[in-house]
This record gives sequence, structure tokens and C-alpha cells, in this order.
Amino acid sequence: MSSKIEAPRPRSIDRSKLSYISTSAPNDREVPKSRLIDRSAVEYIRPVLTVLEKNVHSPVTPGVVHFPQFKITPALEKAANKRIAQYPDDQRRSAVLPLLHEVQHRHGFISPESIEWVAEKLGIAAIKVVEVVTFYPGFRQKAPGKLHFRVCRTLSCAMGGSYELMAKLCEITGIDRGSADTHKDPISISPCGNYSVEYAECLASCGTAPVCLVNDDFHEGVTPEKAESLITQYES
Amino acid sequence: MSDITYLPGKEPHEKEHRLIFRNVDRKGWNPKIKTYLAEGGYEMAMKALKMKPQEVIDEVKASGLRGRGGAGFPTGIKWGFIPPNNTKPVYLICNCDESEPGTFKDRYIAHQDPHQLIEGMVISAYAVGAHVAYIYIREEFPEAAIILEKAIAEAKKNGFLGKDIQGSGFDLEIYVHRGAAAYICGEETGLIESLEGKRPYPRIKPPYFPAAIGLYMAPTIVNNVESLCHVVHILRMGGEEYIKLGTPRNSGTRIVCVSGDVKNPGYFEIEVGKVTFQELLYDMCGGPKDGRTLKAVIPGGSSSKILRCNETFQIGRGDDAEEMTFWQLPLDFDTLAAAGSMAGSGGVIVMDDTRRMSWVLNNITHFYAHESCGQCTPCREGSTWMKKVSDRIEDGKATPTDVQVLEDIAYQIDGKTVCAFGEASAWPVEAMIDKFRDELVGETSDDNDTRSAERIAQEQFLSSVPQ
Repeated sequence: MSSKIEAPRPRSIDRSKLSYISTSAPNDREVPKSRLIDRSAVEYIRPVLTVLEKNVHSPVTPGVVHFPQFKITPALEKAANKRIAQYPDDQRRSAVLPLLHEVQHRHGFISPESIEWVAEKLGIAAIKVVEVVTFYPGFRQKAPGKLHFRVCRTLSCAMGGSYELMAKLCEITGIDRGSADTHKDPISISPCGNYSVEYAECLASCGTAPVCLVNDDFHEGVTPEKAESLITQYES
Repeated sequence: MSDITYLPGKEPHEKEHRLIFRNVDRKGWNPKIKTYLAEGGYEMAMKALKMKPQEVIDEVKASGLRGRGGAGFPTGIKWGFIPPNNTKPVYLICNCDESEPGTFKDRYIAHQDPHQLIEGMVISAYAVGAHVAYIYIREEFPEAAIILEKAIAEAKKNGFLGKDIQGSGFDLEIYVHRGAAAYICGEETGLIESLEGKRPYPRIKPPYFPAAIGLYMAPTIVNNVESLCHVVHILRMGGEEYIKLGTPRNSGTRIVCVSGDVKNPGYFEIEVGKVTFQELLYDMCGGPKDGRTLKAVIPGGSSSKILRCNETFQIGRGDDAEEMTFWQLPLDFDTLAAAGSMAGSGGVIVMDDTRRMSWVLNNITHFYAHESCGQCTPCREGSTWMKKVSDRIEDGKATPTDVQVLEDIAYQIDGKTVCAFGEASAWPVEAMIDKFRDELVGETSDDNDTRSAERIAQEQFLSSVPQ
């Protein structure tokens, strides 16, 4: 039996898109061909992911077709400058949240390129934007569906039947919430990419429980029986 | 006020006293400045701008207004904490990050009466000497953020904001800043960190409270939406007149939000301390649903300690001590504190006899495990442990010692963290176990095995290895 040990192939990373990672890293240096060295070993060292690279990773979802790819447009620049002007000149960092909201509103989620753009715009290190994006549940790093449902799961709504509402929504839209995790992966997307669901923590309308947000529209008193009509009202 | 008509089905109860919510659900009302001006809007702001800032602060101090965000700290005294020799700019922040489960009052002010809030902010900013103010609004109110920005633009156009307001020489700019769905941003120093564009890790206090070192290391006043709106009415009525509302040390009105198992949940603006739980839950909310009885009530948002409906309390000390049943308790800051809970943010959550307390506890621990910011170890780890143990109890897989374990974890968090989130996550658990221990223990069994699958596999492996 002839067995040849193959070196594992590196995970390809487009480093040109991640300019904030130093390009002069030692493992990127050209190795002279004349030297007798196992090149596969050099290749193997290269793909060690930095913390930053791991965190800005945005998985591609079926929902991505509904949102335009991140592009710096004059409209985005104008909106960003308006937000930055709200804060003192020496405190541009304050505009991190507003800028990320502008990006997420236009492009559906926060992509690595948009993080770079925000960092550049505010003159701060990209990691300072990444730490904000990864902390707040309000920012997502993967595209949701065309209709994104955020169902309140906190006490009053849960007593009003929000768990049942979520089950019903998943049943109608064909979403599998088996792999959902409240911390790491809260959003579940339907295979068709049209719908996605997420649990929200207290939407502050406990008197009209259960409540949910559909994109930016607020709906109250959505009992599980009304799940069907909630979806159809957006489809017409 | 008698000429005001409300939308059908939304009329206020006769025991209500509406100041802040006067225009909520009103027939023909809209959030436009024209409507607000027709009702004498911004008159109080103009009145304040003719007074001296210290006179405004004194008026608010005289009113005895206590903050409506949760802690109940006197607003006028908070304003007085700005260092007298301060040379830095002063900031005013309106805390509209209403995320305490069970509370839903700020939503209606921001959606239906934004100009009342802006007027309150103009007066407050003038009193504390702020020329820039921010409204920190939670991400889950996208519509309210748009309404507020529109209202600010309208007010600016009419000369109630911007440079030299109505010829008084006072400048004020208000900006809306949207959060991003983090509960911890409701804590004032966490909110300041978030406004600075960082993770909202609360700051250690004392010694430096935000009034001394806050936003951008400058003096900052953070007030709740409802507190700021009350300032308008204090100026209209005068502090002396305002303090007559409610009871001594608990002056004014406050909005109580009732949710859960009652016939008519909703919001009620009452005089503080003038309404008891009996009146609130039976007369105003219509009592429990048919065929059920009320079991327990969370009186001030999910962080406050739960009260059993069949409890009796000793209120007061020494000779003044008075025995009160739960139903006789008035809704004010001091009585609820004496009963071992707190008035908090005014979110009353009602549970009837069909609710399993292990389920309620599980829901609450999931909330706090999700929302812990992760700065302090006792809270970050403890809230997750409490979630796991309560998961076990709710699933019926726990042993009786698990209830004790849960209680121990809660007491390890309480008082050992930078901000009040530690207490907020531990108190509901402590109180739930204290009041419903038998019920929780009743759902456990000595036969259950609480070892994890990994641990069982490990033990089996070790026992199979020859020694």
C-alpha cells in the first residue's frame, strides 16, 4: 500500500479585501525556489486565522439575494457625514452605531468590507468597530430573509403565546430552528431565503402581548392564529 | 381638561390622573408641532428661559420628583451634582432605552407626544446648562426614532431648538442616537459608553457619578423619558402644587404598566401611593380571567422581587408598624421597598394560578443570561449557570439540591458586580425561591441524574479502564 502524506490545503482567504491585516506578515514572505524546502509546510503555516478574521467572517445565506452588495455610494457618504456631524469633532468614534445602522439598513447585514469602511470613515482601528458589531444583538453579520421576524420571547409575551407564535411562523415558512443559538447564531433563515426569524428580548409593549417586529414594522396582539395573516399581508 | 375625548375603548379610568399621558390615545391628536402648540405647547419652555437656571432646579427640587427609570433617585438633587467650578461642556441625555421587561410607557410618549419630551429636554438642558442633548433610543423603536427626528426638525424650524432660542440667548441642539438591542444600555454609565461608540460596559461608581464625569469625561445628566416630561408639568403647576399630588416623599403621578393574566392589561397614570394593588388589579384591570385566581405579581419590572398575592407584610418600624396584606399595598417607592421589593420602572406583571413558577423563573433567567454584558465574572458566568439549572428544573430533570444550588448562585452574584445588573439578575431568582420553594422543589426528584452526557461517558470510560 503506497501512502503519500498530503499536506492539508490552506483555507483560501482573499487578503486583498482585508487590508487592515498587515501584508508583511513573516509567513507571507516569498520563499526562494532554489532553497530546498518543503513548500507545503510554508503553505500550511499561512492560513492561521487571526481573531479579527474569524470575527468578521460573514457566512453566505439564501437571503443575500434580497440585498445589494456593499458599495460606497454618494448617498451613503452623505448620510454618514450627517450622522458624524452630530458628535463633537474630536469624538467621531461615537458615530459607530449610527453608521453601522446606515449600513445594515441599506445592505441587510454588516459585511467585512463595511466594517473597514466605517473604521476608515471614523479614523479608528477596525477592531474597534468589530468589537461593537459582535457585542450588540441588533447588528447581524449574515443576510436575513426578505421578511425578518423578531418575535418577543420575554415573560409577558411568552405568557401570551409567543413560543407558539414562533413555532407557527417556522411551520408556515419552513424554517428549521434546530441549530439556533441565542448567543452565537440567533437568526434562522428559510431555505428559499424569503423569511427569517429571531427571538427578541422585550420589545416594550407587554400590554398587547404577544408582539413582533417585521423588518421595521411593529405588530401587536399577534396570537399564533394570526401568524398566517401576518405573513400574507406582506405578500400582496 | 373635561373637553378632552379619547379614542373609543381607550378612555382613562376614573381613578387615573393624567398629566404625562394626557394626549395619549386622544381623539384628533397627532405628533405634529401644530397640534402641540394649539394646546399651549412650549409655553413652559419659554417661561423657564426667562427664569434663572438655579430657579428651575429649585422648582424641581421642591416638587420632590423622583426618577421614573427604576432607581427612584430625586431628579432635582441629581441636577445639583454638577461640579460648581466646571469648565467643560455639560451634556443632557434622555434615556429612551426602555427595555425592562414589563415596562411600556416611554413607547407611547415617543410615538404619540414627542414634543412634550422635547419641551422637557429644553427646560432640563437650560437648568443644567447643556447645549447638546442626546436622545438614546433603543433599536427596537425604529418608528419612534423617525418620529422624534421629525419632531426635532419641526421644533428647530419653529425656533424652539437651535441657536438663540426665541431670543433668550440659549442654544440647544438635540440629536437622536439609536442603540442596538442591548438591555445593559439602560444603565446610565453603560449608556454613556455606548454613546461614545464602545461596548456598553458600565463604569465603576462611586466616586465619580456621570454628573461629575460622564460623556466624553464631561458632566452629564441622564434622565428617563418620563422624568423629563414631568419637568414640564412641574413648571406649569409649580413645585409647591405638584408635591401635593401623590403622597409625602412619593410625589406626583407615575405610569403603571400592567401586563399578564388580567382582563384588561394596559397603562394607567396614577398618583403615586394613592392606588392599592386591589384597586389596580381588580377595579382598573378587571381582575383575573374567568375561573382563575391571581397567584403572584412582579411589581416593578422583571428585576424586582416577586410578591405572592396571599402574603402579609410588616410596613414601617416600631410603633408605626402596620400589618398589610398584599392587596392593601399602595404603589409607591417606599412601601414596596418596605415589602421587600421595589417600584422600579412601574411594570407590573401578573401571573395567575395556571402559571408554573419554574416556567416563569426559566423565562426570566434566559433573559438575564442573554443580556449580561460579560464585564464582571460573577454575573457573566452566574447568569448562564442560573439559566442552565433553571432549564433543568423546568424540564423536570433536577434534584432537590438544584434549588439550593440555584439560590447559592444568585447570592454569589448579588452585590459583587460593577453595575446593578448583578442584583437585577439575582433578585428575581432569590425571591422566586424564597416565595415558591415548595413548588420548585416539588418539580424535582431524587431519582434524577444531573450529570452531563460528557461526564457520564467519562465516568464509564474510567470505570472500564483496569486500575
